[in-house]
Amino acid sequence: MKGQRHATESMTTTMSDEELMAQVRSGVGEMLGPLFERYQVPLFNFYLRLTGDRTFSEDLVQEVFFRMLKYRQTYRTETPFRAWMYQIARNARADFLRRKRPETSWEPAMSPAVIPTDTAQQSEEAALLHRALMRLPEDKREVLILSRFQDLKYEEIAELLGCETGTVKTRVHRALAELREIFRQIQSGSLLRGKSSEGTGTWPGSGSLQ
Amino acid sequence: MKCEEMDELLPDYLSGKLNSDRAVRVEEHIRQCSECREEVDLWKKLALLPDERPSDASRARFQAMLDSYQEGRWEKASLAAERRKFLGFGDLVHWLRTPSLSAAWACVLVVAGFLGGRYIDRDAINVANQKQLAALEQELHQTSELVAISLLRPQTSAGERLEGVNWSTRVEGDPKVLDALQQTLRYDSSVDVRLAALDALKGYGKRPDVSRSLVQALQTEQSPLVQLALIDVLVDLRNANAVDTLKRLELAPNLDPSVRKHASSAIQMLSQV
Repeated sequence: MKGQRHATESMTTTMSDEELMAQVRSGVGEMLGPLFERYQVPLFNFYLRLTGDRTFSEDLVQEVFFRMLKYRQTYRTETPFRAWMYQIARNARADFLRRKRPETSWEPAMSPAVIPTDTAQQSEEAALLHRALMRLPEDKREVLILSRFQDLKYEEIAELLGCETGTVKTRVHRALAELREIFRQIQSGSLLRGKSSEGTGTWPGSGSLQ
Repeated sequence: MKCEEMDELLPDYLSGKLNSDRAVRVEEHIRQCSECREEVDLWKKLALLPDERPSDASRARFQAMLDSYQEGRWEKASLAAERRKFLGFGDLVHWLRTPSLSAAWACVLVVAGFLGGRYIDRDAINVANQKQLAALEQELHQTSELVAISLLRPQTSAGERLEGVNWSTRVEGDPKVLDALQQTLRYDSSVDVRLAALDALKGYGKRPDVSRSLVQALQTEQSPLVQLALIDVLVDLRNANAVDTLKRLELAPNLDPSVRKHASSAIQMLSQV
C-alpha cells in the first residue's frame, strides 16, 4: 500500500500542472492531491497577504480546491493551470465576501504576521512593511501581491484582471508608489514613538526620509 | 528619463524582463531619483515577508473533501452548500427567481392577486363568483401540487428535489404530494433530500399510510443521520408499530453505536405506549 502510494507520488512529481488537471477533469480525482501539495501554500499566502485573516484564508483555500473539482469540466488543457486557479481563487473570494459580509466592506483584521527573520531589525522592518501593505487599498494590494509573490507574468495578471498588460504594469508601479508613501508615514511615526520611549529606531536608509 | 516613463519600465525592470540596454537606462534614472530608488528598495524588501504555512488541519480537510468526492458522496457535499442557501432571506429571493420556479411562481402570484381582489370586493360576491373563486383556489392548489411533484422526480437534481420538498409544504395534506414525499423519503439517493422529506412528512405521521411509510423507511434506511431522525419522529408520534422494526434494527450488525443507543431507548419508550 505504502509502496504503491510512493510509486504514484514519484510519477506525479514529474507531471505538469496541466497534465494533472487534465487527469482530474477526466475523473481521476486523486490527481488533485499533488496540485494541492504544490499550491496550498502559495494560495494560502495569497489570501493571507490580501486579507490578513488566517482562518478566512484557510477556508478560501479549501473552497478553491472544492471548486476545481466541481468545475473540473471547465478546465481547458491549453490554458495555463495557474491562471485558471487564480481565476477561481479571485471568484471564490468575491463570492465569499458577497455572501458572508454584505453589510461591511472588508477591513482586514490586522493579525500581525509571524515573521521569522535573521535580525530583530529586519523583523521590525518586515512588520512595518506588513502594516504598510495592509493599509494599501485592496485593488492595489492585490495587483502588487499577484506580481510580487504569486509568480505570475504581467500578461497573466492582465488576463486575470481583464485589462491590458500595460495597464497592469502601470498599476503595479502606482501601487508601489503608494506603498512607498504609506511606508514612509508608518516609518516616521514609529521613529517618533521609538525616540520618545527608548531612543532607538535609527533606520538604515532613513536618510532618504528627508 | 522622467518618472512618468517608469510606469511600464520599472515593473519590467523589477521582474527582470528588460534588455540590458534599457535596464542600464532605468538604473541611471534610479541613481538620480530617490523616489524610484525607494520603490525598487521596497520591492526587494517585500521578500522579507516570508511565506507562512497553513495549519495541519488544512491538509486533512482537503483529504476529507477529496475522499467524499472519490466515494461518490460529492453530490451531497454540494447539496449541503445548496441547502444553506435556503436559510438566508436574500437567498430565498434568489431561489424564488430560479428559472424553474419563476413561471409557476408567476401563476401563483396572478391567482393570489385575483383572490385578494375578490376578497376586498366581498359584497359583490354572488354564487357564480364563489364558484369561480373555488375554481381558482383549486387551480392555485394544482399549480403548487404540480410544481412540488415535478420537482420531486428522481431525474431532477438534488437541489431541485429539495425545492420540491419545500413546495410540498404549500399544499398541505395533498394526497399526491404526500405520496411523492413518501417515495422521496424511501428512495431518494441524497441524505439531505430524505431528511427534508421526513421533516415535511412528520406533521402527517398520524395518517395510516404515512405512519406505515415511516416504519418501512426505517427498515431500509442506511444513513445514521436519517435513522436517528426517523427514530425521533416515530417516538414523537408514539408509533407503537415501530417497536418490531426497532428491535431488529438494534440487533443489526455494523449499526452506528449512537443509532443503537437511540433505538434501545426508543423501544423502551414505545413499549410503554
